Order: sequence, then C-alpha cells, then structure tokens
Amino acid sequence: MVPFKKHILDNGLRLIIHRDETTPMSVLNLLYDVGARDEDPDRTGFAHLFEHLMFEGSVHVPDFDVHLQLAGGENNAFTSNDITNYYMTLPAVNLETALWLESDRMLGLAFSEEKLRIQKNVVTEEYRQSYLNQPYGDTMLLLRPLVYQVHPYQWATIGKNIEQIQTAGLEEVRSFFYRHYRPDNAILSISGPHNEDKVLEMAKKWFGDIPRGVGSLRLLPQEPLQTEQRRLVVERQVPASQIYVVFHTCGRNEQAFYTTDLLNDLLAHGESSRLKERLVKQKRLLSDVNAYLSGSIDTGMFVVTGKLHEETSPEEAEQAVWQELLELASHPVSDHELQKVKNKVEASHEFSESNLLARTMNLAYYELLGDADLLNRQTDAYFSVQGSDIRDMAESMFKKERSTVLYYLKEGSGSG
Amino acid sequence: MLDNGLKVYLLEGGNEEIVKIELVFFAGSFYQSAPLVAFSAANLLRTGTANRTSAEINNILDYYGTYFHADAQKDIASFSVFVLQKHLEPVLGLFQEIIREPVFNEDEMGVFLKNQKQQYLINNQRVQYIARTYFNELLFGQHHPYGYRVEADSFDAVSRTDLLQFHRDFYHPLNAFCIVSGKLPANIRDMLRISLGGDHWPAKEKNQPPSYLASSASEKKVMVQRPHVLQSAIRIGRRLFNRTHPDYHRLMITNSLLGGYFGSRLMQNIRQDKGYTYGIGSNLVSLLRDGYFFIGSEVGVDVCQKAIDEVYRELKKLRCIPATESELAAMKAYLSGDYLRSFDGPFAQSQRYKELLAFRLDVSHFEGFLKELKDISAHQIMQTAEKYLHEDSMIELVVGRK
Repeated sequence: MVPFKKHILDNGLRLIIHRDETTPMSVLNLLYDVGARDEDPDRTGFAHLFEHLMFEGSVHVPDFDVHLQLAGGENNAFTSNDITNYYMTLPAVNLETALWLESDRMLGLAFSEEKLRIQKNVVTEEYRQSYLNQPYGDTMLLLRPLVYQVHPYQWATIGKNIEQIQTAGLEEVRSFFYRHYRPDNAILSISGPHNEDKVLEMAKKWFGDIPRGVGSLRLLPQEPLQTEQRRLVVERQVPASQIYVVFHTCGRNEQAFYTTDLLNDLLAHGESSRLKERLVKQKRLLSDVNAYLSGSIDTGMFVVTGKLHEETSPEEAEQAVWQELLELASHPVSDHELQKVKNKVEASHEFSESNLLARTMNLAYYELLGDADLLNRQTDAYFSVQGSDIRDMAESMFKKERSTVLYYLKEGSGSG
Repeated sequence: MLDNGLKVYLLEGGNEEIVKIELVFFAGSFYQSAPLVAFSAANLLRTGTANRTSAEINNILDYYGTYFHADAQKDIASFSVFVLQKHLEPVLGLFQEIIREPVFNEDEMGVFLKNQKQQYLINNQRVQYIARTYFNELLFGQHHPYGYRVEADSFDAVSRTDLLQFHRDFYHPLNAFCIVSGKLPANIRDMLRISLGGDHWPAKEKNQPPSYLASSASEKKVMVQRPHVLQSAIRIGRRLFNRTHPDYHRLMITNSLLGGYFGSRLMQNIRQDKGYTYGIGSNLVSLLRDGYFFIGSEVGVDVCQKAIDEVYRELKKLRCIPATESELAAMKAYLSGDYLRSFDGPFAQSQRYKELLAFRLDVSHFEGFLKELKDISAHQIMQTAEKYLHEDSMIELVVGRK
C-alpha cells in the first residue's frame, strides 16, 4: 500500500504527495500529458526532440544540470506514445532545489537555434544507435504503420524518419511548448520523508504562479476494428530470422486490460510459460520467444515474437504459435496455472513498490489514468480475473483476420 | 557462519514483504579450463537435479512468483533470488537443491548451447559488442581469461564432464558467500541453516587459483572495418588496477570528472557541445586480479575521427589544466548525492556489500572514498591523470568506419 495525498492547484496542476520516512532521498516526478500520439503526422519525433530541449536551459536557469549536481541530484526523462515524463532524485534536504528547477522550465524555456541544432544531431545519433545500427532495430518502424492504419500510434516515438527531425524549426518548438507544457496539462508527484503540508507549501510557492494554458482538446482518430489480416515480409542482414504476430487490445484503462495482461503472461512470462516450454524447449522450433503488451492508453498492441532456428521455416513457426494461441481460446487454463500468473503479478508489484522512484512515477501515471489510488488496486484487479475471462478474451482476440504478421528474414534464406 | 563454513550476511530493511538471497561463488570464467564452462555451468544449474526436471523447477519458481537470475562473470558466478517473504521457505528448499545437485542433462545442454550460439551470432553483428570483447583481448591477450574471446565453434564443444567437474571443484561452501536482504522472517537463521548448512552441503578444501600472465597489445591504434554501419564503436583505455589499490579512490574521482556522469567533460563536450553521439562515458573496471580504464562510445561515422580527436584533447586537458572551483564543487556534490543513492534500501546495500566481500575489503573502503572526495584538490586530480591516464599510454580501438 502506497499512501499519498492529492491536491489540485489553482492553475490546474495536479499534485500527489507520498511520504516515506525510511529514506533519506526525495523524488520529484513531473508527467506531461503529451506524447508521440499528439504529433502532426508531418512532424513526428517532435515530442521526443522536445524532451531533449527541456534540458538546455530555462528562463532563469541557463544551465540546468549544474544546479542539480550541486544538490547531489540525478535526473532523466523519457517520452512514449502517450506521455513525456521527467524525474529527479536527490537528497531530501535539497528538495526545494528540484522544485525551483522543474518549475522554472515549466515557466519558460530558453529557446535557442544553436541548442536546437545540436540536439537534432544528438537525436539523430540516438536514432542510428537504437533503430538503424542494430540487428532488428527497425522492427517497430515497420510494424507500427501496419498495425495502426488510422491512429497516430502508427509512428514510433523516435519519429517516422530522420529527415522530419532534421527540418524542425524554432517557431514550432515554441508553439509546441506553449500548447502542451502547461500546469493544467501536468501531474507533479513528490515523495520523501518531508511532512506533506511542507511539501504542499513548497509546491505552491514554486508552481502556483505559472499561468495555466488555454487548454487543448485531444481529438485523435481511433483505430477501427481490423477485419482482414495484414502481412509483410522483409529481408535484412541478420543472422537469424524472426517472426512477429500482433493483435489489437483494449486501452490501458479498461477492465479487460488485466485479463489481457494475464493472457500475455501465460504465453511467455517465465521459463515455465507455454511458448517457452513448448516451442523453445520441447519442439525446438525457436531459439527464443517473447510476448508483451504495449500498454498504451488508446488501442494497444499484443505482440508475440520468436527467433527461428536455421532449420525452422517462418511458416512452421507461425503455425506453431497459432496452435498455442488457439489452445488458449478453446481450453480454459487450470487453476494452478492461473494462480501462478497471479502470484507473479503480486511479486512484481511488491518489487516495484520497494523502489522509491518507481512508486513516485507510478502514482503520477495512475493519476493520469484517472486516480492515483489505482496503484493500490492493481493486485486486486488482477486477482479478480477468472479462467473463463481469459478463454473468452483469447477466443475473440486470436483470429487470423484480426492479426498482423511480419516475417523479418535473414537475407538469402529464400523463404516467404 | 554456517557449520560448513559458508559465510552468510543478513541485511534487514525495507517496507515491503520481500526477500533477496544472493549466493556468490568464486566460479567465474577465470577458473575454467575450457571455453564457456563457467557460463554454462551457472546457467544450467536450474535445468535439472537428481529429483526434478527443468520443467518442474521452472514451474515451482514461477508458481511462487520468484525472480531467479544466474550471472557468471569473469571472477564470480552469482545467483540472485527475489521472492515474497511468505513463499521463502519452499523456494529456499528448491534453491539449495539446484545449487548442490544439478545433473547437467545433455538434452538441456543441447537446447541451451544452440540458443546461446544464435544469440552470440546476433551480438557479433553489433559494433559495440565487438568493441567490448575485442578491447579486452587487446588489453590482456587472447590466452588470458580476462581477454579470451568466445567463437561460434566454442558453443559446440562444451562437455558435460567438464561441467560436472567444474561444479565439484568450485561450487562448495568455502568458495562462496551469501547475502540475505529485505524484510526477513523471524526464523531466517534456522531456515538458512536447514537449507544451506552442513548436513546437505559439506565443506571442501579451498581452491588454489591458477595464474596467468597478461600481455597488452603492442599495436596502439587498431581498426576493425565494418563497411555498412552508420555508427562506429570506439574504445580507448588501458590496464591499471582494481579497488584494492591505494590510489583507487583518487582515480575514481578523476574518472568521474572526465566521463563518469552527465556533467562530465566527455559528455558535455562530445555530446552536448558537438552532438557527435547519444552517449559517451569513461569507466574504471575492477577485476579480482587486475583492473582497467576505458572510454567508450558509439558515434556517427562521419564524425568518428573528430570525436576521437576530442577524446584525446580531453585527456590532455585533464592532466594539464586544473578544474575550476565551481566545476569541482558541482562534481563533489553530485558524487556525494550519487553515493547516498547507491546505499538507499536493503537491496542497494547488499550490492555494495557484495563488492566489499568479493575483494576482501571492509566498510572503511567506503569511508575512505568519502574522505578522498571531500579532500581531493584540482591539483591532485591533474597529478592522478598525469600518472595514470596519459593519452599516449592508451590503446585505441575503432569498430566500424571513419
């Protein structure tokens, strides 16, 4: 159980305060309700590029990092399709420094052509390092536009291509900031040993006067129900072929998400999971197999992926995967197996709660979903899933006409 | 200490009902007599005992929501188990069985080695993987266990006899230590005595370590061509010493200033000022019998030589120009905060303690660092850089193209 207090400041900033007297550290987490899905299709990669620029100086603080370092603090940020999240951890005695720095860059950035130019290059190198210079690196760049025909999730956070990033201009940066980086579009979550009233007072002092935004309505085209299978075959210079089978799922905030997550765990979470035990160990068709959810707020992705042994054809591998999926659709899981995945969820939840940063981040994220207290109701939500719920979900999800299949083949393997 | 000589350390703490058990053996690749034996032994322990198959073991571990991780490095092999306190007893029972009586089933070996071989072939396409492994070979020599590089064929040649022998020789209580951390149940001592104690697991004589001669490459600048890559991996560094050396703390602080955090010279110059890379840093690596320093990064091929030139410029600057008072103050403050962070909670503390135990140090090692951090002057940093980090003493490796 993670205790917390919630407040909303006059300018709309949502504030979550979590007291933990057993640690000498404090964490400040600021979540902005803007992600890659909010980008213009001709200006993708922008939310992430913008995240980089948030570290290049604000109106009163030209050098962000040195002050945080002097306070013994560490910080970082990440951008996803849904959110942009900034966090700092530092000795609790210096919490006010974190509030000063974070509030100043919400007040206004020190926009500069030179800094924009440099960070465009840094992001270009990140693009290369993570997506282009790695075997299988471009997988998501290929899969997303297939899985999402309409929704902005069709492009990855890094952007559709390097060119769109390279042509970003300072005026666009400015208007992006004033549109999305406003207190009423943000959630501030603070944890540490301080008394909650003291934290509230400090937060009001530093964030209270920042003017709220004009408010922007998010009207995104929702992804329609898929009615026909989508397939793609590509060849790359990789030492082993890989297949991907992808389905749409409900959004993160729906009750069905918990059933979907347990279904995913049954397939490939842990060495005793179905795909690992049967396709890797017993049948030896694959050298590795994985399943995961994108967990996005709008329609999500359920991804199953496996690396093929030399002698396995992609058709054989795909067939074996479908066999496992369809078995879950036709036979209910045993009580033992269901309890197993529930126990895993309980354990993961406890581990993540033992980490101050994770707790603070999660409080902000669940507040975005509607209520920070959802954090404390997660285990119960999972425990209430029945075996029949899983079977029903598998039956409705695992249909050929609802799937996207990618064969990512080793060059010259002659299959497809 | 248990009756069979196993040293066990208890670290009570945390609010959540979880326990971590870490059992560490001096059974890294340094001690093996054939390639991949240490790595395979560590990873194959869980694939079957006299009484249980791999599937049964996996099912039990997963059923109790256990996180089980085997990690074989150059010097040590460590086994970490994270489990909810309420499930500790059955998991401990299984854990000791896995550790004491693995059978290394041939079938399981076959599956494991085949999958690992494929993973190796994939890794070998990454410039950073090639740079990391080849650089160690350049530092220590291809026949030295710290420098030896695995090849694809090595995966086909691992023998069950070797694994069993290795297990007999190195997996025993006098060659290990154990740290248990988290919210511990009242009867933890009894639980540990029953599971890891002498009745099941008799002591053996301590092993005599083999000795090797390390030899660094004579070639100072090495290039491995990879014509189609978009980024090159760079490693620049040299052999030095490990954390038991009297100058270690000083060197660690000097290293931080150069490239140990975001505000460091390398990051601020080569990433933030020039935009040549997404990340660059410098590191000190402590091995039980040696140690080394390296600067590593992946940079765009079009700016590769420029990035390298900047690295040498920073190395020279480090030994010739003293840090300013404000730069020094910022770094010291940052490192103090970072140190505090690295001791936050029982699991972080268990990591710190593991480092001490592996190197046979005591807590004065940490106090020593804090004192050095407080007292060190810009002049001492320059001297340390001059003595140990001279740019002419480095070996340079580039994997990719320039």
